[in-house]
Amino acid sequence: MSVQTALILTLVIPFVAAILNMVLRNHDNMRDGMTFLASVLLFGTVVFLVSNYNNNANQAIMLLSVMPGLTISLNLEPLGLLFAMIASGLWIITHIFGVGYMRGNNEEHHTRFFTSFCVAIFATMGIAFSANMFTLFIFYELLTVSTYPLVAHKQTPEAKLGARTYMGILMGTSIGFLLVAVVWTWQVAGTLDFVQGGILDGKIAGAMVPILLALYVFGIGKAAIMPFHRWLPAAMVAPTPVSALLHAVAVVKAGVFTMLKVGIYIFGIDFLSQTGASEWLVWLASASILIASLIAMTKDNLKARLAYSTVSQLSYITLGMALATSMGALGGGMQIAMHAMGKITLFMCAGAIYVATHKTKISEMTGLGRAMPFTFIAFLIGSLSIIGIPPLGGSWSKWLLMVGAADANQKFAIAVLMISSLLNVAYMLPIVGRGFFLKAPVAAPVGAAVSPTSRFAEAPLLCVLPPVLTAIGTILLFFYAGQIEAFLLPIVSAQQ
Amino acid sequence: MAENFPVAFLFFAGAALLFAIPKGNSRAIFLLAVPVAAGLYIWSLPEGDLWTARVFNLDLELMRVDRLSRIFALIFALAAFLGNLYAWHVRDRVQQVATLLYSGSAIGAVFAGDLITLFIYWEGTAIASVFLIWARRTEGAYHTGMRYLIIQVGSGVLLLAGAALYWRETGSLAFEAMTLGSLGTWLIFLAFGIKSAFPLLHNWLQDSYPAATVTGTVILSTFTTKLAIYALARGFAGTEILIYIGAVMTVFPIFYAVIENDLRRVLVYSLNNQLGFMVVGIGIGSELALNGAVAHAFVHILYKGLLLMSMGAVLYRTGTAKGSELGGLYKTMPLTMIFCVIGAASISSFPLFSGFVAKSMVLSDTAKEGYYIIWAALLFASAGVFHHSGIKIPFFAFFAHDSGKRPKEAPWNMLLAMGIGAFLSIAIGVYPAPLYALLPYEVDYSPYSISKVVTTLQLLLFAALAFTVLVRTGIYPPELRSINLDSDWSYRMLFPRVIGAVSRAIGKIWTAMTGFALRRVNGIIAGLYRTHGPEGPLARVWPTGSMVLWIAILLAATLLISFIDLA
Amino acid sequence: MSKKDDIDPENLPWLGRKLLWLDKKKNVDRIVYSLYAICAALFAADFFITKYITLWVERIPGFYALYGFFLSAGLVLCAKAMRVFLMRPEDYYAPYDVESEEFPEDQLERIDHNG
Repeated sequence: MSVQTALILTLVIPFVAAILNMVLRNHDNMRDGMTFLASVLLFGTVVFLVSNYNNNANQAIMLLSVMPGLTISLNLEPLGLLFAMIASGLWIITHIFGVGYMRGNNEEHHTRFFTSFCVAIFATMGIAFSANMFTLFIFYELLTVSTYPLVAHKQTPEAKLGARTYMGILMGTSIGFLLVAVVWTWQVAGTLDFVQGGILDGKIAGAMVPILLALYVFGIGKAAIMPFHRWLPAAMVAPTPVSALLHAVAVVKAGVFTMLKVGIYIFGIDFLSQTGASEWLVWLASASILIASLIAMTKDNLKARLAYSTVSQLSYITLGMALATSMGALGGGMQIAMHAMGKITLFMCAGAIYVATHKTKISEMTGLGRAMPFTFIAFLIGSLSIIGIPPLGGSWSKWLLMVGAADANQKFAIAVLMISSLLNVAYMLPIVGRGFFLKAPVAAPVGAAVSPTSRFAEAPLLCVLPPVLTAIGTILLFFYAGQIEAFLLPIVSAQQ
Repeated sequence: MAENFPVAFLFFAGAALLFAIPKGNSRAIFLLAVPVAAGLYIWSLPEGDLWTARVFNLDLELMRVDRLSRIFALIFALAAFLGNLYAWHVRDRVQQVATLLYSGSAIGAVFAGDLITLFIYWEGTAIASVFLIWARRTEGAYHTGMRYLIIQVGSGVLLLAGAALYWRETGSLAFEAMTLGSLGTWLIFLAFGIKSAFPLLHNWLQDSYPAATVTGTVILSTFTTKLAIYALARGFAGTEILIYIGAVMTVFPIFYAVIENDLRRVLVYSLNNQLGFMVVGIGIGSELALNGAVAHAFVHILYKGLLLMSMGAVLYRTGTAKGSELGGLYKTMPLTMIFCVIGAASISSFPLFSGFVAKSMVLSDTAKEGYYIIWAALLFASAGVFHHSGIKIPFFAFFAHDSGKRPKEAPWNMLLAMGIGAFLSIAIGVYPAPLYALLPYEVDYSPYSISKVVTTLQLLLFAALAFTVLVRTGIYPPELRSINLDSDWSYRMLFPRVIGAVSRAIGKIWTAMTGFALRRVNGIIAGLYRTHGPEGPLARVWPTGSMVLWIAILLAATLLISFIDLA
Repeated sequence: MSKKDDIDPENLPWLGRKLLWLDKKKNVDRIVYSLYAICAALFAADFFITKYITLWVERIPGFYALYGFFLSAGLVLCAKAMRVFLMRPEDYYAPYDVESEEFPEDQLERIDHNG
């Protein structure tokens, strides 16, 4: 198998899976089994790409030429490979969890759900391997569209309202700002290709640089930088598997991934650093980190709290880009992986709790830990990774960002990172502390799966196993983070 | 290389194995075996950097063995053994696992040769230890644990930030002696300062330790603060500001200790005061003073553990450790009382008890180096220690007015643990040579001269005289059911009120703002729906009507940009 | 010390029985008087032994004794005065504090000689 074939396959596999999902709509087990197979195949393909990746060879493929210089093309680069690997790997786990959740929870419209899921993965792969901003934009919009039915899945008025907010902000910002920025970039640079070191150096100067950057930053609504973050909490009306994969991994990471791509390959870290164009973004990202954490503290709904935590954690990545140092950019890339693994664990735990007890409020989860120890231990590990406690993956991205901030001489950003960790402790660990060490105000927790032989009341295995696996994943990431860093290093080293 | 694996791994493996061992005595034996094995292993280790691990493209030194790290590791292993013996009866797996992880992390941290390894274990002690507080399983303990955790993790992130700055500044991550000056070193200093309970950074200590379980407090009292003392000795020996910080630390907690009602908290105030002596020793930084600080940490772990064990035994048998509720227990808990008195004599540094052979090193060096006021403060603090830890604790628990409580003597395992602690406290006091042989520097010091013994006895017994006179005349403040405000009032009462008010205000403004924006956006979307798309099933393909709109916008944008460019 | 004859000395541990000696006020007074005597002797010792002097204050006869007595008395009086400003009821921080809670009974093993 050549690299090019594999690259095409990453798009073909989820696409075909989407079609097969519709074909097999009346055979639940076959359909879900097939999707599982597809997810494994996709992950295998991405792993193949990663292992055969050669930084120097040009492996681009052009799919379609819209007009001269404006093409839909795919290419390989470390950041995209990392993103694709995370998204496809976690797709396997989320799919297992999703099947357990949808069945355990007696949700309806399974086919529509899993089909949209496949399309979303298709779009995510497209984003990850885009060779230029135009391609990325197309897939970016496709991702928004394909996740809309997932957000509105429950079809209640509340779900529709949430989905409308979701669509409104993501579409609005992407058309209102991002498209303008893309067109502008094309106008001045004559190309939209992602090039090491950026394409704008010498093409644009003065006050125009920060303005263009602002158009990008606010246009990439999926990165949920304040004040365009509202869509993310609004999207929490979706079933938990959607929140887990899409709103902790694929969609939001597509946003910050785009942010990093723009910073590294459109502007170029050095160009940003010389012009100081991202100085203001350091402040905005910092504000976003802190304010979102403060809001998260006030939320009693577990998923809402996690959503605001995501808003805060995504801004770490934006911050990493805005620092305009190689360590910062690396830290941002690392945070994509670390946060994905940690946050998906937390969401799946929230889902498992919901399946087992139908509880969504943190205040009602007191004492649940003793009945659901595996879920809560996984939640603890996920939280600690988000906070940045060793030996969990999250600590390395915090470390790199701190070093990046030190390099940029942004002592303020270091303080923000420190305070944010403490805020994370304050809003994450109470769930574990109350869950394990306090007694529920009313008798025993109502478990959907209480068996007479066991004192545990965990959710079905398919819901509990995935978060346990990803929790183990956060531990492994601590020890293998060095490999990721080495893999990502070309994105910043080539320009020095 | 493989034979000199990090000691901490022994504890972590033990924690993992614990799940396979059935509840009961076999698990209790296992919990004793782990620290014994670790202690023997540490004893046999050669000096040097024995284990380097490459993680995240950094070379982490996990086993820097030298005289300084070895003595701390040894006493930590010994304390873990005594703590687990004391907790023999505990069947709560959470506490058992937490104890192993906590002591393992503390030992790992003293062997850390670089700041990253130190950070890793530093946070490890923070996370593992909170479970000993939460394990009390009450609402109050939960909240106390959260406060404790935030402060402990705060110390960790300060250390991390300091390490990042320090690395970029010096190019080295090695954990060696540092000079205060840059922001990086100050942050590291502050991180150490929090854990060693510097004045105004101290309150997590008094707040949290008495809130732990009976056995948890004993275990907590050993590790975190002494780890910080080790870190200061390693990183900031001879930093003059430490002398003044330490002197304040020795003095102010004793005032609180006099009026505090919870006897376990009295002991924690005195723990804070004892740390002050060590900090002064580190600040002076001479070989004698450093030896003194380290020796003091060593014996302190034993006698402070012993005192907390005795109060824990009282709590275990009576359900309270409050001075106002206790008294007259000597008849039914005589052994516990005697062990408590031995601990009290040691902490007060009576001749022939362990405190004497360690504390006098620091004290005499302050005078020699010319810090007269510091010397006077330490002397005052020594008398004060005797007052609250030496007399108050045994007096109000076991004598004073008869509370009518007739609890049974402590269980055998507690008595045994206390007995060993008491034996060691006396043994070291009588024959300090083996301890001196372990200290980081050559010891040329003899604690027992007639002059020293007599002056010490004068100081202590006249302090006892003052106590007697005050109690007999009724001037001595009675034990009352009460608490005393300390600096934690700021973050437990003041800040929450301020922050609460501010965040409510921000929340309101935020909701108003986003609500307004959302209504606008929703209005636009609703409009688009009405004009461009049917309210069809949700899964249907995006209406083509809006595609047209997109293209229109795209073209408009292009036009706009071209105009800007032309202009 | 008030004496309550609520417990049969036979039920006390051996050591406890011996210590009943302390129950008598007279014996406590004996201890106090011997403390006075020892203190007097120690003060006097200052005039007979050679002290190793580092600081001039140490030359003052009975310096350590006086320092220990007056400063620790001062400590107590000061601390007592601090209560005026700092003392609060036990439930001041409740429910965020363990002070006003009972210790959980299931973690204790209370055995009382009185049954």
